[in-house]
Amino acid sequence: MVYIGPVIVGFIIGFIVGTRIKPNIASNLKFPASVYVLLAIVIIFIAYQQGPFPWYTDSVFANGLISAFAGIVIGKLTFGRG
Amino acid sequence: MSTILKIIAFPASVILICYGALTILGGHITPGGGFQGGAIMASGIIFCLVVYGLDDSPIKFTDNFMASIESIGALGYVFLGLAGLFATGFFMYNLGVDIYHIVPPYIVNIFDYPDPLHAGIIPYLNFVVGLKVLVGLSAVVITFLESEKLMKDMESK
Repeated sequence: MVYIGPVIVGFIIGFIVGTRIKPNIASNLKFPASVYVLLAIVIIFIAYQQGPFPWYTDSVFANGLISAFAGIVIGKLTFGRG
Repeated sequence: MSTILKIIAFPASVILICYGALTILGGHITPGGGFQGGAIMASGIIFCLVVYGLDDSPIKFTDNFMASIESIGALGYVFLGLAGLFATGFFMYNLGVDIYHIVPPYIVNIFDYPDPLHAGIIPYLNFVVGLKVLVGLSAVVITFLESEKLMKDMESK
C-alpha cells in the first residue's frame, strides 16, 4: 500500500509552483508538451534510481518526486496558462 | 545567455523543484527538511530568473503570490504551534504523536502524518517552512532584478 502523506504533500508543493509556470507568448523559446513528456520520463527514471525515499518500503519509486512533478504539470494545465 | 543554456534551464529547474519537494518530504527522518528543500526549490526558480531574465522567465512569481505564500507559511507555523497550546497547554506540542497521552484520539488523527513513522506535525512544519524559504529566497533575487530595472528607469529620467 502506498503511503498517502508524501503523495499529497508533494502534490500540493508541486501544484503551488506549477500554477506560476506561465511561458511568455512573445518569446522565441517554446516549451511544448513534448518537453513535459521527456521530463516525465526523466523524473520516473530518477524516482526509480532513488528508491522509496526516505526509507519507505511501499513502492519501488520515490513517490514524492513523482507526485511533485504531477502537481507541477496539473498546476500548469489548470492555472498556469501563458 | 546562450541558446543552449536557455533550452536546458527550464527543464533543469523543474527537476530541481521536484528534488526540493522530495527533500522537504523526507525532512522528518533524514538530514535536511523545510529550509533545505525550500532553498533547493528556490535555486530552480533563481536559475530560470538568471538565464531568462525577469520578463521572459517561464516561472513568474508576482508580488501578490509571494506575499500570500509567505503569509501562509508563517501563519501555518503559528497555527500548528497554537493548536498544541490550545489542546494541551504546551506551545508546539506534537498533536499527531501525543507522547503524554493527553489529547483525544480524534485530534491525534487530524494531525497525524500518514506514513509509517507517524511523525505528527513535523512534516507539516517542514512543509510550511519550505514554502516560506522558497518564496523568501526567490524574492531576494527578484528584488535585485527589479531594482536593476528601476535604476535604469531612474537614469533615463
